[in-house]
Formats: sequence, structure tokens, C-alpha cells
Amino acid sequence: MPDFTDRLKPAAPDGTTVLAQERGQSDVPVDELAKHLLSNDDFLGRQERMLRIVEKDPLFNKTKQFNLSRPDRFKLGLARGKKLRRYSDQYGWDAKDHEMAVYLCDDVTPYMVHYAMFITTVREQANDEQRAYWSPKIDAMEVIGCYAQTELGHGSNVRGLECQAFWDPKAKEFIIHSPTLTASKWWNGTMGRTANHAIVMAQLMLPKEGSPGEYTSRGPHTFVVQIRDMKTHKPLDGIAVGDIGPKYGYAPMDNGYMLFDRHRVPHSAMLSRYSRVDPNTSEYTKPANPAVVYGSLTYVRATIIMHARLIIARAVTIAVRYTCVRRQFQDRDSKDAKAPELCVLDYPTVQIRILPLLATAFALHYTGEAMQSLYWNTREEINQGNFGRLAVLHAQSSGLKSLCTELAANSIETCRRAMGGHGFGGPSGFIQLNNDYLSKPTVEGDNWMITQQTASFLIKRMQAAVDRKGKPQDEIEGHCRQYLDEKNGYKPSQLRVFDRDEDIVEAFRRRSRDQTYRAHVARNEQKQSWNSLLIQLRRVSHSESQSILVQNFYNALQQKDSAVSSTLHAHLRTLFRLFAFYTMDSEARDFSRAKAVSDDDLDKIPAKIQELMAQVRPHAVRLVDSWKIPDFLLDSALGRYDGKVYEDLFNRAHRLNPLNEITFNPYYKEEEIVKGSGENIDSILAKL
Amino acid sequence: MAAVKNAPQWVRDLKPASPTGPELLEQERKSSNVNVDQLANFLFTKEAREKKRKILKLLQDDKVFDKSQNYFAGRIDRFETALARAKALQKLAVKHGLDDDEKKIAELLISEPGPYGLHEHMFLVTLRDQGSEEQREKFFKPAQAYKIIGCYAQTELGHGSNVRGLETTATWNSDDKTFTLHSPHLTASKWWIGSLGRTANHAVVMAQLVIDGKGYGPHPFVVQIRDLKTHQALEGVHVGDIGPKFGYNTMDNGYLLFNKVKIPHISMLARFSSVDAKTNKYVRPSSPSLVYGTLTWIRSTIVMQAGSVLARGVTIATRYCAVRRQFQDRDAPEWEKGENQVLNYTMVQIRLLPLLAATFALHFTGKGMQALYEANHKKMAQKTSDSNTTRGTGPEETQSSSDLLADLHATSCGLKSLASSVAAEGLEVCRRACGGHGYSSFGGIGAWYADYLPTATWEGDNYMLTQQVARYMLKSARSVLQGQEPSNDTTAVLSWYHKRQDQGAAFDILGKDEDIVSAFAWRSAYLTFEALKHREEQKRTWNSLLVDFYRLSKAHSQYMVVKNFHETIATNNNLDPETLSLLHKLFRLYALHTLETESAEFFTSAAATVRQIQLARSKAVMTLMEEIRPHAVRLVDSWDFPDWQLDSSLGRYDGKVYEDMFYRANDLNPLNRVDIDPYPDSATLFRKNESDGLKSKL
Repeated sequence: MPDFTDRLKPAAPDGTTVLAQERGQSDVPVDELAKHLLSNDDFLGRQERMLRIVEKDPLFNKTKQFNLSRPDRFKLGLARGKKLRRYSDQYGWDAKDHEMAVYLCDDVTPYMVHYAMFITTVREQANDEQRAYWSPKIDAMEVIGCYAQTELGHGSNVRGLECQAFWDPKAKEFIIHSPTLTASKWWNGTMGRTANHAIVMAQLMLPKEGSPGEYTSRGPHTFVVQIRDMKTHKPLDGIAVGDIGPKYGYAPMDNGYMLFDRHRVPHSAMLSRYSRVDPNTSEYTKPANPAVVYGSLTYVRATIIMHARLIIARAVTIAVRYTCVRRQFQDRDSKDAKAPELCVLDYPTVQIRILPLLATAFALHYTGEAMQSLYWNTREEINQGNFGRLAVLHAQSSGLKSLCTELAANSIETCRRAMGGHGFGGPSGFIQLNNDYLSKPTVEGDNWMITQQTASFLIKRMQAAVDRKGKPQDEIEGHCRQYLDEKNGYKPSQLRVFDRDEDIVEAFRRRSRDQTYRAHVARNEQKQSWNSLLIQLRRVSHSESQSILVQNFYNALQQKDSAVSSTLHAHLRTLFRLFAFYTMDSEARDFSRAKAVSDDDLDKIPAKIQELMAQVRPHAVRLVDSWKIPDFLLDSALGRYDGKVYEDLFNRAHRLNPLNEITFNPYYKEEEIVKGSGENIDSILAKL
Repeated sequence: MAAVKNAPQWVRDLKPASPTGPELLEQERKSSNVNVDQLANFLFTKEAREKKRKILKLLQDDKVFDKSQNYFAGRIDRFETALARAKALQKLAVKHGLDDDEKKIAELLISEPGPYGLHEHMFLVTLRDQGSEEQREKFFKPAQAYKIIGCYAQTELGHGSNVRGLETTATWNSDDKTFTLHSPHLTASKWWIGSLGRTANHAVVMAQLVIDGKGYGPHPFVVQIRDLKTHQALEGVHVGDIGPKFGYNTMDNGYLLFNKVKIPHISMLARFSSVDAKTNKYVRPSSPSLVYGTLTWIRSTIVMQAGSVLARGVTIATRYCAVRRQFQDRDAPEWEKGENQVLNYTMVQIRLLPLLAATFALHFTGKGMQALYEANHKKMAQKTSDSNTTRGTGPEETQSSSDLLADLHATSCGLKSLASSVAAEGLEVCRRACGGHGYSSFGGIGAWYADYLPTATWEGDNYMLTQQVARYMLKSARSVLQGQEPSNDTTAVLSWYHKRQDQGAAFDILGKDEDIVSAFAWRSAYLTFEALKHREEQKRTWNSLLVDFYRLSKAHSQYMVVKNFHETIATNNNLDPETLSLLHKLFRLYALHTLETESAEFFTSAAATVRQIQLARSKAVMTLMEEIRPHAVRLVDSWDFPDWQLDSSLGRYDGKVYEDMFYRANDLNPLNRVDIDPYPDSATLFRKNESDGLKSKL
């Protein structure tokens, strides 16, 4: 309905003009940088192709979904999941194409765990025969699966799971059973309403020879179990399964619960690539390395880390564009009373929150790349039966997952709050992002708990270095020996972090080794209890992860063959230094104690950071442009590429808001709620 | 919690693995002798607690306040229900003669922002405090009877904290003695205004007063915006709800635009300033400081509330972490099979216990501020009535440092900023400390956090506010350098430091509580004189110093929190010695943990040595946590939150965490009542309820 508001314009200077000025003042080669960051596996090309399809489909229109109730959000999610799958068939998309489409639609679908965990687990842990049986059904989506590990009372500690699988040698079947309420599977995605099959993680219980009725536990193993009828989609007898209810985010996902009442499954249900129970002799074959069950978890972690850089980039894109458009207060030092209000990004209190995060997105990118190649290299070794490097991968992936997801989750909140009031509004583009992404710090291993894995691994390497037997077993032990050598006599060189970038890398390494060494002394020499060391262990893990981030960023800048133009290289180096010094400043005491950076230099770092921020500031808009996050994905009035912030905010409130289609009756003496409906309070009570 | 119904018998028979939540919490409560009742009375008074029980009963007896579907419904349903509740509560208030305090208690128990919120908390107060006699008669009385329902429209689409930048204009028409309200740009649209979107029929509108082409700054006008019968917007007024938000979705935050709307002379609230209709001249405000007094009061409430807002998260997380067990203790002997309570992990303690200490710190600080405010407000009111003739100028430039209220006003900005940040960030820490279940709506922290968040940006953005504190600190430091006698706490601290700075500090922070307070004072004073040096000697720009100012404001606010906490327990004789000594430990934990987090500033200012800081971290904090740990559950019990208010499976008083999670998922969850068709090739989504088409909702 046209009204007088259609003619109104924002006060000058409007967002479009401001962003054009910002882009005009910078020499950052946007397309070159985009190619540098996002050409791997044709990310950009794929993004463009998928965007063209989903953007014009009204089913993927995001503007009103915030208003829906939970059941409606789920329904919408299922409709979207189905539609994307049908597009896959129609256009012949591969898995990567489909993933990209889901990423752009930015709504988790109820099929997610089927694609991510179910398929991977069957691929990795089924034997050839099992694979031949399941794969065609899975590909056709006749079998829709989920992954049921976490329980109501048990998460990160897989060994504590209560769900049991008893082997019945006579019937040659397993009996899956939940002995208590806390044994209920819980949180498992795709399970609540969607899946008809599940991978169930259960304690394998084998009968004790000679003692009937008694069993020995062989630890957690995976079983493929049908859970719902293929026709009616009702739960099978002896299985109680449902959705666990609303969450902070992830509304379209049916995270579920599931209980078993002595439910029988055939011998073939146990995934047997690595360990098996002989159906005739009941003999148990141990996996070559028990850690192999965690293979899929490690894979998920690698993906989470790659995803984290894009999350930060997205948060920073919105933050940078909006803080350029948004003005507040005049400069106090300005003599001109009529001077326009200052652009918010010119405030150092705003810069310090946003610009180091911009640099962090780049840091995560280079480590993500390195991690992925490490994962694929390690996988080939595993397929060849060599599990040796799994320990390194597992240890590194948990520490990095912890640090990177925490950085990403915090970046969303930090950027959101830097927006002032509008950050709280639905059109900010931060709300669903925050709601959905904040599961990451606790999912797949709580961020605080899993740092123990990295720390424990490092302390063992330090112990090995102290023992010094033969050649170092790996690179990390090598570094530990070097650290010990420097500690015992060879005077460590004085590092010059402001002059030499390689010294920055060395400083981070030295500080990390120092943290490891101190933890090693506390644990192995002073015999302090593990529990009393947990806080220190987290620092050990984070120090190492920060060192990896800095190292990979530095390595990427050194690559001569990458053909990065000198203009771009200079910008990247500024970002590298900003990231490194910002991190160093927040952990200054560690660097001082490790004698990695002198106290004099540490005192100078805050000024150095402001100087680097001033260098980045004029290029901020073009730097975020280079991440090529489409407006469709941002779904943000504040972060629009064209800067039409206020026009869009108003449009969404005024024209796209269903609440405004209803006139309410506000007077308390009248029970009617919706004006003219004549309904009394009973219509409300019926919903409660 | 009702029993599980919609499940086969074998499911209903299941129990959680032992030890169960109730057993664990019982054990927790046995292992501590904190007198919960006594401590709760000390925090809230016995009378207030009894009132709370009485009102809780009233609410629980009325089905409209039933919370069980809150976490499931969509925006429109949630708003409708909230409106029904607001109406029901007002009826209850009339029926039982509830006063303002009692209504506030009811709102806290209901725990969702309601559509009458701004009518009650801003509209009525503004009419009462800023209206003339005649205006009070015309507007305030019908508003009290809810014939007029109003809101307070200040913030605009393009303008928040900087009131002087508002674009909406109110132009005086001398010919017909009216004002014309107008929105010249889209960015002039009022925005974020609570109760405006769908509920209010009137608004207090802040607009730039223009007389004869000259601007006189922002002033408040009472404007009718909707028809009293049809509730439709009046001609030339464009108003609506701004859409869903991160939280606060039961409130209709609104937008409002005016297309040259004429309003009568009486619309301008005229208690302090007005336009003389005969001479067409502007009449200047007589005493603006009274207005700022209200802001100070509001801020002290925010500080005190921050304590209990955070306590709610800490209560849930502490109880749940006592019930939740994970991993065996690595050092545990073979025979100890069970998993360890999560609350026993130092890594969990370091997140929760300092926050537990912070809840008390903030509560006592808020209380202290209010006491100081009330005492001095009385004195000042006395004085103003004595000498009505002299008018004060603007609040920042004027009040001499001798005025205690001015001190409180300036420092309250910093405390509001610190307290609401600590509470908001603390809640997220609590949520994450609950592990995976913290992500479930049934955890009870997520939605609470989302509703609380705007507090960090309203009443002045937390970062922007810190400039006011810094400005005041610099001014006070200058007065000390000029040799003026200290007249309030801030100037006393600054002049104490100024005299002693060459002798150095040497505080015994690990041994004496008073010395901890001194160390915080020392650091705050040091940062003040440093900032003054940057500004005056080195002539640094204001903008380049904002980060320094932020740090200074934080340091000074932390000093005040530590000081208030210390004073509260040092002068107390209502608590038994054991509880009191526990509060002393909480004081030390809060202070030393803060000191350790901000160690760089304590070290550079020489308020503490590196060795002391190291010991604080590795020894003192760890020991304090060990000593406080056994009392954690009883300490959160003393915050006295009814389960009905918490609405959390994880934070239940009885520890029936898992039973309640399962009951809510299984029995209260509407999604489990629909059967779906999961196969991509089939267009069917829900096998039942297909009638409500999806497309129409998009």
C-alpha cells in the first residue's frame, strides 16, 4: 500500500555514497584477493552457479522465517531439504554443489546428518560387503540415516556411554538396550522426525565364557539400526524416538532422543571394517588402533575449522560496511560546529573490536587450508593401514577446533554489539548466525574439555624430548629438543619481532614450547594432579594453536610461486602483523615469561597495533568485499553491498512484517486480543 | 514437573543412572552449613521474600501465565499471549491492590518483556515528572487508568545515544499556537520504541523544537497516534512493529513517522521548559539536574539487577554442573569407578565461581549506590527548595566536585557499563559451561540471555558511556592538581595517590582485604593521571584516547565494585561468622580474579608486583575456589529463585534434570505430535495438518 513514507530518503550522506567513497580510496585488488582465497575447488564459480538457482526460488526467501513457530520452521526446513535434493537430481549436482547450496540458503536442513555423518561413517567403518549393501540405498535416499552417539547423561566421554549391545550367540543377533533414562540417545540430529535408520554407538557386550548371564564390555562400537517403518514412518516396536524440542538455534533440525527396549538386530548390523565379532565362534577381533572410531569425528572437526573462517568473514563484512555508513557524535576536537557526525569505524574503540577480527579471518583461512591437506594425507596413510599420524591429527584438530570455533563464535557477538542497537534487530544478519553458530563451541567435544587432548599429546612429546632416545619421532618432538637445548646452555637468540616476521613465528613457537615445558614439569616432575592443571592445559593447547595459526599465515606469505601481486602482498603482510601482534598483546605475560619477546617490545605493542589498524582502515571495505559473501547469504540490512542500510531496515519492518497486518485490542478491561475478532481469553488458553 | 504420559510403559519405568540428581544435590547441600535462609534475608529482606511467595501463588493459579509452551511458539502467538498476560496482570493488580514494587516482582517472575512495559516504566514516569499540573490532569490520570496507553519515542533509525543528533522536528506555529511534528528523512523514523509497534495509542515523542527558524534542541511532546476506538493510526502518522529480534520478541518495538502532523500547545511537556503561547518565546529549563538524577537511579537499578540477572545463569549452571558427571578423574584410584561431577573440574570452577562471586559484588554495589543516592537526593531536594532561584547549567560542565550526587552520576555510567557487560558475558559463559544441554531451550539460559542483551546498548551504549566517566575523572584530577580539597570519594582517591605516588604502593594484596581495595584505587588513579598527561602534555586527540578512556572507566568501576563489596561485609553484623567468612572469600575471589585478569595494569601502575600477581593466579585463586566449591550449591540457593521463574530443566532445585528434559521433549513438544514424510521425492511434508499451507507464511 503506497503511503507518504515511500518518498522519504535517508539523511545525507547516504550509505551508497559512503561505500562508493570507501571503495574509491583503496587499492586492494578485490578480484585477485578473492581468487587467492576462494579458488580452491572452484569455490567462487560454484557459489555463483548455485546462487543463480536458489536466489530466485521463493521457497528460499529468508525474510519472514524469523516469525515462524518451531513446528513451522521444521516444516520449512524439510521442504527446503527436499527441494535441494530434487535440484541435485534435476541439475546433476555433486556433493560439493549441494553443500554450497545449503551454505547459501543458510538454514540447516533435516537431512544434514544423513549427508554429513551417516554417509561418512558407513563409508569409513563398513566392510566391503556392508558397503555394497547400504550405499545404493543411501544414495537413493531410501535409507535416511542419523548418527546416535551422545546420550542424555554423556557427551564428550564416549567411554561413559550407557547404551548396550549384547551379543546373542544362539540367535546370532545383537540386542540393543537402554538400561536407564540417562542412556537415552539425545541431541542426535535428523533423528527426531526424519531418519528411518541410525548409526547407534553402543557398548559391545560379549558373553563371558563359562559364566552364563555375565558379559564383558568391549567398549563403544557402531551399529546400523532401522528405527522407523519404511512405509508408515512410525517407530519400530521396542524403540521410543522423538524430537527433543526447541533450542537456542538450529530450529529446522530435528535433534532427537531415542531409547531401546531389548531391540534385536542381525549380526550384520555391526559395522565391521576394523573390529568384528565372529558369528560362529563369538570371537572378538580388536581394531588395529582403537582410535580409528574417532575418524569421522576428526573429519567433522576439519570441516568445522574451514567453516569458521567464513563465519568470521561474514560477521566482519557486515560490521565493516555498517560502521562505515553509521555516524555518531561529532569529533570532540573538531572546531566546526556544523561538521557531520563521525563515521563509527573511525573510532579506535570500534576498530579494536573489528579490524583484528578481519585479520583473524585470514589467519584461519591459511590454517584451514593446511589442515585439510593434512587430513587427506593422513587418510591415505590410514587406508594403507598406518595409524601413526592419526594421533598428531587428532591432537591438532581438537586444539584448533576449540580455538577457531571460539574465535568465530565470539566474533559474531563482538561484531553484533559493535553495531549498537541495530545489532539486536532481526535484519542485522547476526541473529540466526549467532543462534546457529553458537552450538559449535559445545558440539563434537566441548571446547574446554577437548583442549586436554592437545595438551596431553604435547606433554608426551616433551617427555620424549627430555628422555631423548634416538631420533625425534616427529617434528614436534624436534622442536621440544631445540627448546630444551636453548634452555640448557645455548643462549636463545634475541628475537626482533618488529623487524623480522620470521622472529614473530619463532616467538610464538618459543612461547608455546615454554607453556608445554611448564606443564610437563608440573605434571611429570612435581606430580600435580591432572584436575588441578586443567586451566593450565587449556593455555598449553591454545598457545600451540595460536602458534600454528601464525606459522601457517607466515608460510603462505613466503610462497614465491603463489604469484600474489606486490600490492596485495603488502596488504596481507599488514594483516599478518596485526593478527600476530594483537594475539601477542592479549597474551603478553606468556611471551615475557618465555623470554620470547622483551618487556620493552611488549610495551610498544599497543601503539604498534593502533598504527597497523590505521593502515588497514582505508582498505577495510575492499578487504571484506574480497571475501565475496553474497547479499543473499548475508541476509542483512546493515551489511548490504550497496549500503542501502536504512532503506532496507524500513522495508523489512514496514512491508515484510506480518505482525503489522494485525490490529490488536490493547485495553486491559476487554479480554479480546485481536481487534474485531470477538474472541475471548479461551483462544489463547487453548494454545498453552 | 508432571509425569511422562505419551510413551510406552517401559519408557515410563526408566530411571536416570545413579547417583541421581536429587541424590547429588542433597549431598551438596549436606556438605555445607551456609544458612541459606539467613543469607537470602540479608540479600533481599524477609518481607520482600514473603511478598514474592504470595505473588508467585497468584500467578501460578492463573492459567494464562503457564509457561510450558513459551519455547515453542512463533512470534505472533508469543506476542498475543504476552498481551493477554499483560492484561491479566493489570487485572490482578487492580483486584489485589498490588503496588508498583509488587507488580515489578510479578514481572520478574513472569520473566518476559510485556507490551505494557514502556507504558508503565517510561510513559507514566515521564508524564508525572515532566508534565505541568494541567498536563498531569489531562494525560497522567487517564494513563494511570489505561485509557491512554503510551510509550517513549526517542531513538531514531539513524540516531541512538547522541540525542542532539535527532532529526524529528516540532515547529512552533505562532499563528494558530500549534506545533507541527515532522519526519524530514527516512532516518528520522522513531525506531526500537517499546510498546509502540501495536499497543500504544499515545507516545511521548522527543523532537527538535524549532521557533521562528531557530533550533532549541530536543524536547518531549505527548502525541496521540492511534484512534481510541478503532486503534488504527491517525492521519499523517505512520506506525508499526519493527519485526523479530534476537530476543524481546514478546515486545512490539516500533517505528513511527510523522507527515506534518499538527498538535496543540499543551502537547509539549512543560514542567522544565516551554513555549510561551503569548510571546512565542522559549522559556528555559529551570533545573535539568533533576532529570539526570532519574537516570542515575535507573543506572543503579541496572547495576543491582545485573547481579540477579547473572545469578540466574549461575544458579542453573552450578546446580547442573553438580548433577552432570563426565569422565573419570585421571588420578582417581581404580576402585572409584564413577564419573566425576563436572563442578569438580577446576576448568569449570574457574568459569563459574568467579561469576558466583560477581553476583554478590554487583548486588552489593547496586545497593550501595541506591543508599548513597537516596541519602543525598533528600539533602539536595532540601537545598533546591531553599534556593529556587539559581539555575544550574548543563550536567557535565557544572556541578562542582564537591557534589556527591555529581560524583555518583558520573561514576554510575561506568558502573552500568561494567555491570551489564559482566552479566551479559557471564550468562553466555554459564550457558557454555552447561555443555551441549546449555544449547537446549529447556536449559533456560539462552532465551534469558537474549532478552537481557539490549541492556548492554540501551541507556547509553556501554562503550560510548565510558567517555563520560573519563571526562569526569580528568576534571577531578585537574582539581586535585590545582590543590582543591577533596570533597568526594573520587577526588579523595586521586589526591591520596597524588601525595603518595613517589613513595610507591607496597600493598599486601594477598594478606589484607583493605589493601586489595587500595590496590584497585591506586590503579584507577594511576590511569587517570596517565590519561591526563596524554591529553594535556602530549596533546593527543580525544578520538585516539578512546581506548585508554575505556580502560580507565573499567578500572574505576572495578574499584568501586570491590570497595562496595568490602564495605558491605566489613560493616555487617547480621550474619553468622561462618557465612560472613565465606563472603570474605567470595570477595577475595572476585577481587583477585579480576586483578589477575587485568594484571598488566596492576603491574605497570606498581599497585602489585609480578610475584604477587603470579601467586594470586597460581595459589590464592586456586585455594579460594577449593574452599568455596563445597558451598556453591547453597550459595546459589540463597539467591532464592523459584523453579517457576527459572523455567529450566537444568537448574531445578530438586536436581531432576534428566526426568524434566525428557518430560518436556516427549510430552510438551508439539513437533512430536506430527508424522512426517521424509522422502525427497514426495511433496508431502507433514502427513497431518497439511491444510495450513507453508507458502502463505513466507
